[in-house]
Amino acid sequence: MELEGTQELQADPQTVWAALFDRDVLERAIPGCETLEQTAETEFAATVKLKVGPVSARFKGGVELSDIVPLVSCTLSGKGSGGIAGFAKGAARVTLEDLGETTRLTYSADAAVGGKLASLGNRLIKSTAQKLAGEFFANFEAILAEQAEPAPVPEPAE
Amino acid sequence: MTLQDTNTAAARAPHIGQAHRRQTARRHLAGRGRFVSDIVLPRMLHAAFVRSPMARGRIVEIDTRDAEQSPGVVRVFTARDLNPSCKPWTGTLDHFASMVSAPQNILAEEEVLWAGHPVAMVLARTRAEAEDACELVMLDIEEGEACVDGHAALSGDAPRAAPGLDSNLCFQTVLETMAVDAAFAGAAHVVEGDFTFGRHTAVTLEPRSVVADFDAASEQLTVHHGTQTPYQFQDIYARHFGLSESRVRVIAPDVGGSFGMKLHLYNEEMAAVAASLKLGRPVKFVADRLESFVSDIHARDHKVSARMALDAEGTILAMEVDDMTQIGAFSTYPRTSVAEGNQVVRLMGAPYRMPDYRGRLSVVFQNKVQTSQYRAVGHPIACAVTEALVDKAAARLGVDPFEIRARNVVPDDAYPFVSATGYSFEKLSHEACLAKLRDLMDYDALRAEQAALRERGIYRGIGIAPFVEITNPGAAFYGVGGARISAQDGAVVRLTPSGEVQCAISVTEQGQGTETIISQIVADQLGVAPEQVKVTTGDTDTTPSGGATWACRGAGIGGETALRAGRKLQGQILALAGQILQSDPADLALADGHVVDAQSGTRRMPLAEIGRIATYRPDTLPEAADNSLTAAEHFAPSGYPFDFTNGIQASLVEVDVETGIVRLLKHWVVEDCGRIINPLLVDEQIRGGVVQGLGPALFEECLYDETGQMTNASLADYLVPMACEMPDIVIGHVETPTNDTILGAKGVGEAGTAAAGVAALNAVNDALSPFKAEIRQTPMTPLRILAALGHV
Repeated sequence: MELEGTQELQADPQTVWAALFDRDVLERAIPGCETLEQTAETEFAATVKLKVGPVSARFKGGVELSDIVPLVSCTLSGKGSGGIAGFAKGAARVTLEDLGETTRLTYSADAAVGGKLASLGNRLIKSTAQKLAGEFFANFEAILAEQAEPAPVPEPAE
Repeated sequence: MTLQDTNTAAARAPHIGQAHRRQTARRHLAGRGRFVSDIVLPRMLHAAFVRSPMARGRIVEIDTRDAEQSPGVVRVFTARDLNPSCKPWTGTLDHFASMVSAPQNILAEEEVLWAGHPVAMVLARTRAEAEDACELVMLDIEEGEACVDGHAALSGDAPRAAPGLDSNLCFQTVLETMAVDAAFAGAAHVVEGDFTFGRHTAVTLEPRSVVADFDAASEQLTVHHGTQTPYQFQDIYARHFGLSESRVRVIAPDVGGSFGMKLHLYNEEMAAVAASLKLGRPVKFVADRLESFVSDIHARDHKVSARMALDAEGTILAMEVDDMTQIGAFSTYPRTSVAEGNQVVRLMGAPYRMPDYRGRLSVVFQNKVQTSQYRAVGHPIACAVTEALVDKAAARLGVDPFEIRARNVVPDDAYPFVSATGYSFEKLSHEACLAKLRDLMDYDALRAEQAALRERGIYRGIGIAPFVEITNPGAAFYGVGGARISAQDGAVVRLTPSGEVQCAISVTEQGQGTETIISQIVADQLGVAPEQVKVTTGDTDTTPSGGATWACRGAGIGGETALRAGRKLQGQILALAGQILQSDPADLALADGHVVDAQSGTRRMPLAEIGRIATYRPDTLPEAADNSLTAAEHFAPSGYPFDFTNGIQASLVEVDVETGIVRLLKHWVVEDCGRIINPLLVDEQIRGGVVQGLGPALFEECLYDETGQMTNASLADYLVPMACEMPDIVIGHVETPTNDTILGAKGVGEAGTAAAGVAALNAVNDALSPFKAEIRQTPMTPLRILAALGHV
């Protein structure tokens, strides 16, 4: 299954790039993410709860960032096991383009599922994946917007 | 008085040949069926299985600790716990020379070989608790490369579908006559085509189900098993678990449809038995619909290249066929997954005088669910390839489809006849069936209507397809290959003390009405009504050993067994009556529940009186009298290795050439199954069979992606034929009894399935003919039809 998309983000590439590697940002942006641990500089372990059609499952798996060209592109690959619901795996190439004030993010992903997810949810997987990607970027953008606002200056103690 | 006369007349009329409703129907309608799914035993545990999500992989770790702590869970088993108790099984038979298959055992060891392969078994107080615990089993499988496509699997560097295989070729054979190449060289016309037949599966109303109950105190294993073949499983459970055969009892109560799917050995049933042996508690497994799709055998999955040579007059000279059958990671036990392809290459061209033939079969392993025998084993494929080519030849020669078949079928007066593939036909009736079908469907009027509608842009098609069906198989089928599968049957018939009759017989009831026809046959031997004959089936402790239900043998072989047992008891009753009445038994007969005078029909004494005297007052009998009122008889078919049947089907369809949707408008079948025992049940079998042939022709297909994942494994996505899509099915009969038996009956259960699909295929191609479009793949989905039309 192949997925492609572009998203224009209201931030410069430096900010977007930093956010993509920020554990806290990712944990909040990934739909259904329950835990996300950074296990190495470019590796994360995640628990994500997802529902595809009639199958709902808690996936445990890892995400790795590779082929990193700083501020320009990287590949995210991951695989997760959802117990008897099956498994999901995939890789996405993410590219950033500097548009001055904003950044255009382009992704092209190839994903596969197995077990009950494949046998039951097959018709729904692509639409679900697209919906999840949409949710991810909506969350991501909201977090970026939050960060862009100046942090409130703490009142002096006295 | 008139009432009594009527009753007497009705009772005297033979019941063989009369329509009788299925005796089980009332009980089932009243909700009083007793299926394995209904059985609840004290201390019973429920099983659920953790299955491989991958088509091929290596098991790194199975962590069952959380699952073991889950509420209601009693035990969680993996291969390490269960497999050592069971001798592995290997699905090969000696008469399929040099076929190979890897040995199998209960749960996956080290490697998983299809998506759905059971890896762990959870036993809990309820199925729901067992399923919940399955979610807690952590399975770490390292994904390997799966064999998915059969052609790719045969290339030298392809990964092996199972460990220990030298190649992915399970079996290969070639059948040929001497002059086949010369026949093609000298042919005026050669027509050819490549065909693809998708996988489908049985989708029985009742899924596979088993309750295994081992009592350690008496060392008795009782298995309540929704199966077609209780004796086969008694033998398997005894041998593979090292038990004494007499301590293994298999009971098949009501079974909600089988269609060949419930003949085969499955991991889950073996797991239930192994777990019960281990725990000393009853273990129940009832497959849910979702796991049925990835564990019940699938059927077909063929790619066939074929060509046919004809002379200038349209006489078929030869066929050359190459069939590749794709069967999953193993050959199924104990009947193999080779029988399907073997029958495909042997049934090609079966209705025709065709003198020369070459058939090549390759049976190939891949990482999918196993395929094996399913209703009409091999027949629909052979019939589709043959009849599609005959239609192509007819079009090439400009001859009507009826006419080209009339020129080529084996004439009704040419029997016995041996086919180019080596089958011996005792007596078939193709010419009579062709003529009867033409009248039945009013062929010429349909052609006229078709032409008129075409003018208005409505595309209808008519397809016809003669067929030959294999029934009443002898030991040549499996026994010669070393399989402990019986081709004979046994029956015990007894007269009760009150003059009623009981018959215990080894053929089984799957809902098709076996018990009803057996009661009709026995009733006629003993002069009683079928309602007075109680028939018992499906219990290895209470019925004699025999083959049970497969390959269309219940009526022909089981019926003959019942007839002979009934006649034997008739002889015993008449001998005893002769002594009581001081008459020559030859002057006596049985009718209306009485011993009667054979000449005049005058009643001499009621059967109830025979039962009473023999049971309660044997002291009043003459000294040498034998008071036995029980007769046992076994019957093994002899004479021809099979009793072939034949028939012809026709389909009328309408194709919407803009959407690719096919509407089935009407279907006809003329069938010759020899002596008809019960016309109502014969027609039910034919109609059901036709629907199971039309399903995979238009709707049913197990779809797999390129990684070996089945992608439509639920009834939301897998299309079964529904009543609203099915046409009216008009049935006619020709009766050519076999002389191999007294009864003269042959089988009928698979006839409908054999040719229904190709009748529809030929009809669709007839409808598409104005566009020079042709479809050679089933199911004929709208998309494939649009592709054939060049629209997509």
